[in-house]
Amino acid sequence: MIVRVWGARGSLAAPGPATVGYGGNTPCVELELADGATLILDAGSGIRELGQRLLQRDPGVAHICLTHLHLDHVEGLGFFGPLWRAGWKLRFWGPPSTTATLRERVSRYLSPPLFPIGLSEAPAEATFEDVPRGPWCVGSAIIEAEAVEHRGPTVGYRIEEEDRVLAYLPDHEPYLTAALEDEPRWISGWALAAGADLLLHDSQYTDEEYEQRLGWGHSSGTHAAAFARAAEVSRLALFHHDPMRSDRALEELYDEVAELLRNDQEPPLIAREGLEIELRAAP
Amino acid sequence: MERKQPDLVLIVARSFATKLATPTVIIDARGDLVYFNDAAADVLGRSYLDVGALRASRWQELFEPRTLDEQPLTAEQTPGGVALLERRPVHDSFAMRGLDGREHEITVTAFPLFSHPDEVVGAMSIFWELPAAP
Repeated sequence: MIVRVWGARGSLAAPGPATVGYGGNTPCVELELADGATLILDAGSGIRELGQRLLQRDPGVAHICLTHLHLDHVEGLGFFGPLWRAGWKLRFWGPPSTTATLRERVSRYLSPPLFPIGLSEAPAEATFEDVPRGPWCVGSAIIEAEAVEHRGPTVGYRIEEEDRVLAYLPDHEPYLTAALEDEPRWISGWALAAGADLLLHDSQYTDEEYEQRLGWGHSSGTHAAAFARAAEVSRLALFHHDPMRSDRALEELYDEVAELLRNDQEPPLIAREGLEIELRAAP
Repeated sequence: MERKQPDLVLIVARSFATKLATPTVIIDARGDLVYFNDAAADVLGRSYLDVGALRASRWQELFEPRTLDEQPLTAEQTPGGVALLERRPVHDSFAMRGLDGREHEITVTAFPLFSHPDEVVGAMSIFWELPAAP
């Protein structure tokens, strides 16, 4: 599979000269599967540009896996080109809720007064389903979703194809659930990330910021590193960058994380818009 | 790598219990004891770190739960077991023996842990020692 990052900023889109290096769009990651299927993780503002690219091809099917429905993960939907083009089939997956269906919850944003046009007016064929409780297949990939520690119903995803694994936990505060240095099976999200080739993980805060934001649902870079180590992932990509974090400050955070993981795995990286990584089966 | 892990509801319940000063025990969907906190250790006679997880049959054997008039209770008949099997909150009192050999009479409130409206992943029991009879 080919992993393309269209948005890695967290909480709020943050365009401008200070963030132009890693980008200001909120979460959206495209997976181009080996059989050509398109899988999209989250629908933050990054999905707008992805949509323009998808419109260059004939209408087809896209699977969109939402981790949760906080605005930064759905705000791009209203500007996702395929939604407004007849012939496209969009299959949405998201966390279950005890109060409303996924369609009803997404429609809260895609309806007046928050958005001028209702979801029911979109010409594309859109279906909405809660994530299954066990693995399911999309194209040639096997997907798993599990609830993870964050504010409100939230899932993380594990996508496996050709023995390569991507784990996606953009909004996650595992530190709340267990000491990250031991008892891995009691750490939120551990089973999703265990042994992954690439982990895109929340690293919104510095350690100092985290002390003031305990319980807000996000991780520090240090916690992301400890989680990656506990899960024995091959490579960590810092994700969900704080909207106040400049490129330069982000690189300082990266240096701290890279030092923590120096002996454990491939060097971590900073997820940035335009980043493309191919996870291919070993020959 | 074996990737199985407890449901998030059980993970968060355990995390919650670690922070409580009230004695708290957690069992999973099979009735196996998967955690008790430090406050519970005072009554159960040893710490969770020492004891670890216990199968339902094992903790029943170790703690010897009994009604207050000394009739033996199975794991399924304790408040945690009833909460799990009948999917409802329960409040009851019973006697048990700690791993240090001390006898206790405790009053327990147990409730099932639902991860979905139709799925119970375990039960949480909080308890207090009954005052000793004068």
